[in-house]
Parts: sequence; structure tokens; C-alpha cells
Amino acid sequence: MIELSEMKEPAPVNSIFIGGGTPTYLPPLILKRLLQAINEWLPLGSAGEFSVEATPESVSDETIDVLADHGVNRVSLGVQSFQKESLVQLDRIHGPQHVIPALERVRRRIANVSLDLIFGVPDQSLADWERDLENAISLAPEHISTYGLTYEKGTPMWKRREKGLIMAVPEEAELDMYLASIDRLSNSDYQQYEISNFAKRDRRCRHNEVYWANDAYFGFGVGAARYVQGKRELNCRNTADYIKRIMDGREATTQSEALNAEDSARETLAIQLRRTDGIDRLQFLERTGFAYDGLVKSRPNVLLAEQLIADDGRRVSLTRRGYCVADAIVSKLAFG
Amino acid sequence: MPAPSLIRNFSIIAHIDHGKSTLADQFLLQTGTITRRDFRDQLLDDMDLERERGITIQMHPVTIYHKHTDGQTYELNLIDTPGHVDFSYEVSRSLAACEGAILLVDAFQGVQAQTVANAFLALENNLAIVPVLNKIDIATARPDAVMAEMETALGIKPEQCLRASGKTGLGVPDVLGAIIERIPAPPGDPIAPLKALIYNCHFDTYKGVVVYIRVMEGSVKLGSKIKLMRGNQEFSVIEIGQFRPGMVPCQELTTGQVGYFTAQIKIIQDVHIGDTVTDLVNPATTPLPGYKEPQPMVYSGLFPTDNEDFEDLREALGKLRLNDSSFTFIPEVSDGLGFGFRCGFLGMLHREIIGQRLERDCDLDLVHTAPNVTYQILKTDGTVIVVNSPADVPDGGQVDEFREPIVRISFLVPSKHIGDIMSLAAERRGEYIRTEYLSPERAIIVYDLPLADMIFDMYDKLKSFTHGYGTMDYELKEFRPADLVRLDVLVHHNRVDALSVIVHRSQADRRGRSLIAKLRKEIGRHMFEVALQAAIGSRVIARETIAAKKKDVTAKCYGGDITRKRKLWAKQAAGKKRMKQVGQVEIPQEAFLAVLQSDD
Ligand SMILES: Nc1nc2c(ncn2[C@@H]2O[C@H](COP(=O)(O)OP(=O)(O)OP(=O)(O)O)[C@@H](O)[C@H]2O)c(=O)[nH]1
Ligand SMILES: [Mg+2]
Repeated sequence: MIELSEMKEPAPVNSIFIGGGTPTYLPPLILKRLLQAINEWLPLGSAGEFSVEATPESVSDETIDVLADHGVNRVSLGVQSFQKESLVQLDRIHGPQHVIPALERVRRRIANVSLDLIFGVPDQSLADWERDLENAISLAPEHISTYGLTYEKGTPMWKRREKGLIMAVPEEAELDMYLASIDRLSNSDYQQYEISNFAKRDRRCRHNEVYWANDAYFGFGVGAARYVQGKRELNCRNTADYIKRIMDGREATTQSEALNAEDSARETLAIQLRRTDGIDRLQFLERTGFAYDGLVKSRPNVLLAEQLIADDGRRVSLTRRGYCVADAIVSKLAFG
Repeated sequence: MPAPSLIRNFSIIAHIDHGKSTLADQFLLQTGTITRRDFRDQLLDDMDLERERGITIQMHPVTIYHKHTDGQTYELNLIDTPGHVDFSYEVSRSLAACEGAILLVDAFQGVQAQTVANAFLALENNLAIVPVLNKIDIATARPDAVMAEMETALGIKPEQCLRASGKTGLGVPDVLGAIIERIPAPPGDPIAPLKALIYNCHFDTYKGVVVYIRVMEGSVKLGSKIKLMRGNQEFSVIEIGQFRPGMVPCQELTTGQVGYFTAQIKIIQDVHIGDTVTDLVNPATTPLPGYKEPQPMVYSGLFPTDNEDFEDLREALGKLRLNDSSFTFIPEVSDGLGFGFRCGFLGMLHREIIGQRLERDCDLDLVHTAPNVTYQILKTDGTVIVVNSPADVPDGGQVDEFREPIVRISFLVPSKHIGDIMSLAAERRGEYIRTEYLSPERAIIVYDLPLADMIFDMYDKLKSFTHGYGTMDYELKEFRPADLVRLDVLVHHNRVDALSVIVHRSQADRRGRSLIAKLRKEIGRHMFEVALQAAIGSRVIARETIAAKKKDVTAKCYGGDITRKRKLWAKQAAGKKRMKQVGQVEIPQEAFLAVLQSDD
């Protein structure tokens, strides 16, 4: 809030996303003050999207009322799994029984809901995952995100894997799960619009679209990232340090980087390619000042021949197989 | 300017690590050429690589002054030489500038292969030898036994041997005295027309070529008009001086002296090692005999990873060759690697050092292809061609006879390892010649065997068999017919000529399989399946596939992730710069070396 009030003047925005530390854990009174500050400094346009992350066990009627009263119109629910074993593996404190009540509470006031799911959890089978997908589909959320589990260095799961207490699922199995997500969800009216994101018609997450078009965005709070006026900034990741900086009246930014035009174009290419929309040559040129074909030279040839990307002359996008090796493709195309 | 009678010129020669550079340190310290304050161990080893590896790689001349017991001050021009067999051309070049040599022998290790080889080199050059037992300070020194070995192997009488320690300085004054008394003063007529031997060079960005000379007759002064006899180029001397050990200018170098001159020589091709410098106005009639160029033992390709660096590489090779004329280079084109050079080296260490000097000093990224020896091929049309690269082997139908180089190799080992050496040599198609005993404990075993079976790893094998106590020396003997074939490697159905090797037919299958297996490990997974094949002509003898990368995708890519990812990708792209793109496949440098190691 203090970081917000350091802004010199209110900045109208089209989308707001509160995530990371799960704001629904905040006591309603504090949450209210946070939302008020946001409403004051970042007024949302009339058709704007105001999205908040929540975990199933933290959702109370009171919290939802506070959210809805302050303009929040989308909730992204961190369900992760409908199976107890997987939730335990993931160190989640909620159980499968929390999901449906939480969803009902949200829906009472907020119509637009997304469910987050994780696949590739140790001991999870393809059948387990398919069941998770079915469960999610049956609840008919407007949006579903499916993330392959990543072991972030230093997290408890990462430590358990290092110690050999758990084993990552084999690459092949994880791949099958990923392909199953694409198939199941697209057969049930969820359109894939990015590597890990699926939405019903017109229900794509607005904020995601900003990220993946590589457009500008603000960010506040611990570890928050922002991309304003061509400059990427990152707040410090340590909460105590963050509080101290803010209390001392210092900036919370620890990393700041202004990319030159060409690097920034490469980055845009890398990020936009993750979308099903892919790269629109014309828009790309307008947006970055660089022609797609000039940046990638002859590198797409082999990718086209191997059917990892598709090119209709105007748009270039990943194929189904291409999604599975998106990082390698993006790295090769954008960076050589 | 000293009279020739007050000059002594000598090299320090020995087996590797017997303490040449450390003894040179003592000479510098005890004659006051260098102060304690400016001193560091093996001071003459001034190249970075020499210091890192603790070995001498090139010769280092230095001039010192010593007051002898006769009351006279003598000018001593010493040249410290490398001991490793790959750098023996440095020793030859140094010896030609001297009248004597200190032959150092480690008082514990005793006579080793390069002790013998270098002693014979000095004798061939008619040099006076001053034998010195070094490292006499160490507790395990066995001077009497070592002197007996010297007598058996080299005919050096024990009473001729001096004892010294380069470490403590013990006995060093006696060695200085013996140099003056036993080594003849330089001959030559100081008023004859100038004749100076070019024994070394290096390139200086500001001064041009710095030419290292030994004046044989006459003298050369600052401003002298001179001529290089081989190409008849004329120059005037801009700077002349001595190594003390840094370059210290003087007015003149006269008969018997060793030093350098510069003349703003920018075209490096103008200067040849072994050429004679003479006076332009009053020239000598005949040049000095110069040097016989050494015969490279191994060849391999050097390719810039970035083809745009080709011209830079050519220039760097040229400059390096000024300083080390024992390697050769000629342009070569490879289908896979583009433009590069086929280079000849005296051995594997030489090859490695040249590669590193180029990469470091000249900041070039290079791909080194697997080394091979020289072959001769008698073609069906009756002509004989010399092949330094597997790519030059004509197709099977045109080859009448394939001939490979044979070396005569002398192993000097503790007697108890004779059996091991014999089985090692037999494994490598060796032909036994003879055994000589230096003492009941140590013997010299002589074999003839194919250079190709010796050059790549025989030295390492010998060292490990004998726990470091065995040494070896070799010389090229002849070419002999053998049943050889060219083994090709196809990556994704493209033949990569830089991965071809020449092997004995009986070993082809095994080599082919292990080579492909090694490559499989070195080449990373691609986004498509990569086929690897080994073939002789059109017959495929081994194959493997590298499965396609199936999954490589970051699930989440939001705010902070984007920066992290971009950095990672940029880093990957930089890593790929060190790879060679062959067709659609990225082949890392290491893969080209896999060919080398594929026999373990
Ligand atoms: N104890 C003892 N060690 C010595 C003596 N002289 C040299 N060493 C050690 O032996 C090793 C080799 O010494 P160097 O002077 O580099 O030998 P080198 O003959 O110049 O070696 P290369 O030039 O590589 O052939 C070093 O570790 C020295 O410290 C000596 O008189 N006594
Ligand atoms: Mg040395």
C-alpha cells in the first residue's frame, strides 16, 4: 500500500491481478484497505478485469464480499488437484473437500472463475490426472490453467527430491499428461490460448494476455515484477527486506533493466510465441520495429520441416508437438 | 664490447623437469643479473601457459656477466630450453647458437629418454658438454648410481660430472667456472663480413618482428644496413640489444654475441628461422647452413567456430609460427566446418599448446579436429600422394597401397616393467628390436611400431604402467604398407569429413562402434531424431540414434520468469556459438575429440 501511494498520480488501468502471496489470507479489514488503495491509485476502466488469486481453504463469505464490493470480478482458485495424495505431496493445506464449497462461495458474488491445476506430481498416474481434469471440467469454470510441476530451487519439494525422498515423474509420462490436458480441455469447449492456459469463449485472462503480448504492466509487493516504459523491474523477494525498504522510504526495486530495442524484440518474440495466436508478422513489426523474418533468419526452416511450428504466411505459431518443446524452439528462433 | 675470448655461449639441456629453469634462476641470482626483490621461481618461463603448467615451452635466452677466478669478467649467453620431447626443435635451434651445453641429470631420477636424446643432439652439433648432477640436495639422491648410468649410456666419465642444486644454489659457482673453462670461446673473425644466425623471433605490435640472432662473424650496429640472405630483403637496424632477461638496447653486437634486433619488419613472411643476416654493403658470400625443418608427427584441422574469424586465424598462425617454426599450416576446407587450416605438430602436447596460445593470446574460438599422422598412398595410376588429412584419402578403388609411418621408439624403464612394455608394444603392432641395460635396474627397450599407434596416448600409457618412472623417445624411420581404411561418420545422413579417421582394417568395426557411441554422448538431443552412422565406403558398420527431445517447456511464464528465461536463452545461444552447425545438427567441440578417445 505504501509502495502504491508512492506513485505520483493515479494511473488508470485495464486489468489488475493480485496474486503471489494469496491476498485472501489477509484479515478482511486489511484486505479492504489494500483494495481501497488499489481503487484509489489504479482506477480500473469500465470493462476492466480485476482478478485475485485465492486458495480453496482461505475463501470465506466475508472475504468474497470484500473482494466483490471493491470491484474484483475474477477469482483464480488454486485447486491444484482433486486428490488428497497429490495435495499432500504439494504441501497444500487444503483437501479435496474444500474445493466445491469454496467455488460456491465465490460464485455467489463473482461470476468469472478460473481453476489452477498441477500435473506431474510424484506418484501421480495419467489416470489420476485425467480424473483431475474431468473433475475440473464438471465444475464448469470459465478458465483452467494446467501447470507442469516445477521444482523451484530451495522449496521443500525440491529438497525432498534432492534427498531422494520423492522422484520426479518420467519425462514421457509428464508429456502424456500435458497432451491429455490439451485433448480433454479442447474437447470440452476450453480453447487453449497459451501453453498452460485454457478458456471458454471470451474468458481468457486479460492480465495473462498482457504478459504474453509483452505489453506494459505495473507490479507491487514482495517479489513483484513490472514492465513499464520498456524497463523491467523486480522487487526484492524477501518479505522482511521488502518491509524494511518500504518503511525506510526506499524503493523496493532490486533489479532493473532497460532492454535495447533488439533484445526487447527478441523477448517479445519469445513470449508471444507461447500463445496459440503466435506471432502476427504485421503486429510484431508495428510493436517492436523489427521484422520477424529478419530476426529469425533461416532458423525456422528446420522447425517447419519437423512440423514444430506452423506458418500461414501471416502468423507463425507452435504446433501441438511444438508446445511440448516450446522452450527449445523459442530459444532457437529468438536467440539463435 | 667483450672480446670473443671473454664470451661463452651455452644451452641448458635435460629431460623434462630435471631442473633447467631452476638452475638458470641460480645463474641469474648469483651473477646479480636479477635482484632477490624482482625474482620469482623459474623466472625465464614468462609465458602464461608455462607458468600455469610449470614447464618450459619455448627457449629463453639471457645474457649474464660473471667474474671468474682468473679475475676476468665473462659474458655468458645462456639459453634455457624445454625438456619435453614435443619441443625438441627449440633445443636444436638453441644448440646451433652455442659452443657448449650443460647436460643436467636429476640425481634421483637418473638418465631418462630425453637426457640421451638431447645429449646426442649436442654431440651432433659438436658442442662441449658440461655434465651436472642436479637436485643433489634431495635426500633420495643417488649420485653414484646416476653417474654410472651416464657412463653406460653416454660415455661420460664420473670425474667429469659436477654436482649442484638449483634449489639451494649449492655447487653453482663451480658450474659457472666449468662453463668458462670447458666450453670454448666462440670462433669467428670479428672483422669479416657480418654473418648472424636467426635462431628465433617473436612479433611485437610496436616494433614489428624482433629477430633473435647469434653473431658468427663480423658485427652489427645500430643503424647498420643489413640484408636477410634467403629473400634478399634489405632493412636498417632500428634497435639492437641483449636479453637481460628483458630486452635491453645496446650499440653493437659483435662476433660471438647473442642478442636481438628490430627493423620495423611488419611482413612476417620476410623472416625465416635459420636464415643468415649479413651486411648490405659488404655481404658474406655464403649463408650459414641454417636448420633442417622438423617433420611434423601429427596433423589436425583448426577451424574457427565463427567462419568470419578465418583471416584472423591466418594472421595469428603466421605470428605464432615466427616464434615456433616447428608447426606448419595450410588452408583446408571442410564440408562441415568451413574454412580452416590443416596444421602439423611435433606431438600431442605441442598441438594442445598451439591451440591454447591461439585461443588465448588471439582470442579465437577454435574447433580442433581429431589428430592423425601422415600417410602415403600409391594410387592405381602409379602416382604416390601424401595424405595429411583423412578427407584426402581417395575412394577405395583408386588405392593400390596404403602406407603408414613407422617410428623407432626407445623406452627407458625400470627393468621390472620390461614385460609390461613388451605387451603394450605387441598390442600396438610393434616389432621388437633390442634391449640394452643401463644398470641391472634400468633398461632401454627398442621397438619399431606405427606412429599412429604411438603418438596419441603411448606416453600416458607408459607413465601409468611405470608409475612415472618410464620415459621414451622416438624418431621417424620409414613408411610401410599396411591394411588401412578410411572410416567415415555420418551425422543425420551428412558425412562430416572432420570426423573421418584412418584405421587399420582389423580395428575398424570396434573403432566405428565406440566412436559412434562416444558421439552419441557428446551430441545433445535435438528437436528431431538424429541418426549417427559409421561407414567404410558405402558399408555402414555401426549406427545409433539420438532420440528427439520430447519435452522442454516451462509451464509458467509470468513477470519475473520472463527475465530469467530470457537470460537463460541468451546464455544458451552463446553456448551454441562454440558448436559447429553441420546440416541441422549442432555438434559441440568435444565431439570432434571423441574420435581421439574412442579407443578406451
Ligand atoms: N629439490 C630440488 N628440486 C628442484 C631442484 N631444481 C629444480 N627442482 C624442482 O623440480 C621441478 C622442475 O624444475 P624446473 O626448473 O621447472 O625443471 P625444467 O627442467 O626447467 O623443466 P622443463 O623446462 O619443463 O623441462 C620444480 O618443482 C623445481 O622446484 C633442485 O636442485 N632440488
Ligand atoms: Mg624449464
